[in-house]
Amino acid sequence: MDAQEKQLAEAGRVSRRSFLRAASAGAGMMVLAACGGGAPAAPTAAPEAPAATPTTAPTLAPIVDQPTATPAPVAEEPTAAPEPAPDATTINGVTLPDDAGPADQQVYVRYFDNTATFTSIDFMVTVYEGGGNALRDLLSDALIRLDRNFVPQPGAALKWTSNEDATVWTFELDPNLMWNDGTPVTADDYVATFQYSGSQEAAWDFAWYYSAPGALKNWDKAVAGEVPPTEIGVRAEGPHTLVFETETPAPFLPAKLMYSDALQKKALEANGPRYNNDVATSVSAGPYVLTEWSIGERLVYEANPDYTGTNKPYWQRLINIGAKTDTFFAGYQAGEVDHVTGEYLTTADNEIIANDPELSAQVRLTAQDFRTDYLFFDCQNPPFNDVRVRQAFGHIVDRDSLIKNIITPTQGIPAYSFLMPGFPGSNSQELSSIQSYDPEKARALLAEAGFEGGAGFPKLELWLRSEAPVRQAVAQAIAATIKQELGIEVEVSNKEFKTFMEALNAKPTQLQFGMVSYGIDYLDPSNMLGVWLATGRHNWQNATFDDMVNSASAMADPVERIKIFQDAEKLMVEEAPAVWIYHRTVADVLKPYVKGEALEPNVGGFSGIQWPGISAFSNNLSTLYMDSTVSELRPTPPTV
Amino acid sequence: MVAYLVQRIAGLAVVFFLVSVVAFLLMHSIPGGPFDEAQMPLPAAAKANILRKYGLDKPLHEQYLLYMSNALRGDFGISFATTEQVTTLIARTWPVSITLGGLTVIFALGGGVLLGILAGVRQNTWIDYVVTFVAALGLTIPNFVVALWMILLFAVQLKWLPIGGWGDDWRQLIMPMVALGLGPMGVAARYTRASLADVFTSDYIRTARAKGMSEYLVVMRHAVKNALIPIITVLGPRIPDLITGTIFIETMFRVPGLGKFFVTSVSDRDYPMIMAVMLLVAGLWGLVYLVTDLLYTVIDPRVKLA
Repeated sequence: MDAQEKQLAEAGRVSRRSFLRAASAGAGMMVLAACGGGAPAAPTAAPEAPAATPTTAPTLAPIVDQPTATPAPVAEEPTAAPEPAPDATTINGVTLPDDAGPADQQVYVRYFDNTATFTSIDFMVTVYEGGGNALRDLLSDALIRLDRNFVPQPGAALKWTSNEDATVWTFELDPNLMWNDGTPVTADDYVATFQYSGSQEAAWDFAWYYSAPGALKNWDKAVAGEVPPTEIGVRAEGPHTLVFETETPAPFLPAKLMYSDALQKKALEANGPRYNNDVATSVSAGPYVLTEWSIGERLVYEANPDYTGTNKPYWQRLINIGAKTDTFFAGYQAGEVDHVTGEYLTTADNEIIANDPELSAQVRLTAQDFRTDYLFFDCQNPPFNDVRVRQAFGHIVDRDSLIKNIITPTQGIPAYSFLMPGFPGSNSQELSSIQSYDPEKARALLAEAGFEGGAGFPKLELWLRSEAPVRQAVAQAIAATIKQELGIEVEVSNKEFKTFMEALNAKPTQLQFGMVSYGIDYLDPSNMLGVWLATGRHNWQNATFDDMVNSASAMADPVERIKIFQDAEKLMVEEAPAVWIYHRTVADVLKPYVKGEALEPNVGGFSGIQWPGISAFSNNLSTLYMDSTVSELRPTPPTV
Repeated sequence: MVAYLVQRIAGLAVVFFLVSVVAFLLMHSIPGGPFDEAQMPLPAAAKANILRKYGLDKPLHEQYLLYMSNALRGDFGISFATTEQVTTLIARTWPVSITLGGLTVIFALGGGVLLGILAGVRQNTWIDYVVTFVAALGLTIPNFVVALWMILLFAVQLKWLPIGGWGDDWRQLIMPMVALGLGPMGVAARYTRASLADVFTSDYIRTARAKGMSEYLVVMRHAVKNALIPIITVLGPRIPDLITGTIFIETMFRVPGLGKFFVTSVSDRDYPMIMAVMLLVAGLWGLVYLVTDLLYTVIDPRVKLA
């Protein structure tokens, strides 16, 4: 993810191959299997055992090769290590692992982009104004959270069930959860949060998320002001029972509800949605409390001593320092921070890392958010309304050479279709021949379309969205190939972010030919393929495709819906509204003293801190700690 | 003199008005708005909610009148980028930029003039060459490059100075001040040298020397004072630049100043903040030119303002 998409920097980091080995059939259903299928997958078990086992949704049989649903024992002290060593340190009710460094070294430091817009640390208040690489969403538990294999685990909700057609979902909240002002966490807090985010007054910048597919009942109407937010299909049925109703079947709802860290109803009413912007009015029921927020400078969290949930952290303090992204790597080298995510490392930084054995050993691969870069066309107007022209462009991109010479193999893999290998429903193997590199075929297709040797073809401008130098180089290389192989003049123009998006989103679009990327918001093909619906962001319309995606989105049968999604993607790749270039992978640097189960290779073989990173959306934070070598490598514990 | 001042200040008000209109029209005419979608297009209703919340759904002239009537009462609106009142934001960040800028002015102008005098007095000696070379470097190398070099050398390699930050340690001031000041210092040194070289050929200098004045007095009392006039013309206007901060230096060294908003407010389409910084700069420049003009009368008694 490029820095410009800082807003989703956190909300978008998923391993690309994470599902490859997890499931032979229908990897996508892992999400469903996990929320419906009972016990968390064995390899993913975090130190804490879930306090209860999610019950099976009637319609969602597990299809993933995982242990069948055996109730996990209810742990007395969920976060405690099983056999604390006699001399083990216990802080805040958590016993540090044997090889952990001293308690005052359990501090994690990283930077945030001090030029990014940053107005709230709560997802349900804003997403795009959430800073870049900022630590946020730590002050209350989301209903579910992902483990390092992206399998939903119980979060604030201990179990959930749905009705037959997956339109009514009941979540049982953890009755132990308390806000640190002494108020219990109840279903009312979650109801108030959704009613706030879906209100006109909130003007939530992520409002599309709880819209179709599987829209929450009355969500769109509430957003449009046609019904009051109290009509939104989220209600409390008792203090700890939360019910969601959707307009259409939403088998993926539990996975989607990762973004559900509640605001406190009381604080919301008393101090407004940004009550967490001020330490004095901030209140937490999550693993951390906010202790400092100096705008643009520093954000500090301390472990919440009153936290009663199941995601208790070892790190006692998180420090987030505002800095310019160009200096992130220098700060890492100087030992000021423990972690720099790959999206903030420049080509020059990566070169330094590659040439330094010590730094190379600190590289941790993640696959971010299944992000794919592609060329796209205005398919409603000439010359790209002719499918042969689009297909011709599909055959002149030499992905292997781009990866080898420009992108470099740690930063990406070739893409011939949209869904990255490992993503639910990905069919990349089968689709790879459709847009294969074949200049001869490209020339033939172009000639068929009436532009032999590029004669009569208009000069093109290839728009980029404020891209990093590496992708500018990719675009230049592609433009050169187009000129050389097809005889078409292409000028590459790297536009400012907002200029680009306005032209793209304009109706009718003002963007004839561009290069852009997309990464996921939630783990289901309905999310990625939704980009290509007539209501999505590109000017390509195909009623068959729309019907397939819409019907599969609403379908409860996990096998059938994946099959339909795959057919839809195949149709799309053949119709070529886009030419896929590469799927991004990301190489973070992480100090060697950071340890924890979150860093053991996941199902995709990745051993970095996986999406969604350090937040209440993930149980990464209850497994990570600084080991005893920290005192040597970072002699002075970071202070605030 | 009083009439002159009144006239100049009235002129400033006109400038203010023109700047506000031009800035307002320009910022609304560039493509894109503050709440454009980065990923999926928002449903129309959701987009409309956001625009309504910030009053961006009204016709442009209404927005302008509303803005100006609020601004005249001291309400510059809320920054989209931090949700603070614009006035609070400026009150929080500008003093930081003024502090850094002020120190830089002393370092750059003081140092630059001193180097310039040295070079001017010792023309075509090694001192002159060294000063000229350093000044040329300061002028030609962009300050963010200097900043990165300094970070890599003094913070990462030698670990002598903190990599950045503000207000915890006086050493945090050194790198931003030097990186910011090298450019203006180069300008000051070169102008001082050139100006001195020019003055030294004047008749009154020859007269001063002829009447047996010490070289020190010749330089300090006669040459430098006269050489200062072009320097004030050139360097006076650098001061508002320096005390309003710069995005590169502030973000590189994590100085929580005002400078970055000159750039980020535009790229974020943070309309209230764009207007505020535009008006601020217009005001400062007006003021600086006024003070510069007044200073001429102090330095050169022949200059009369009317």
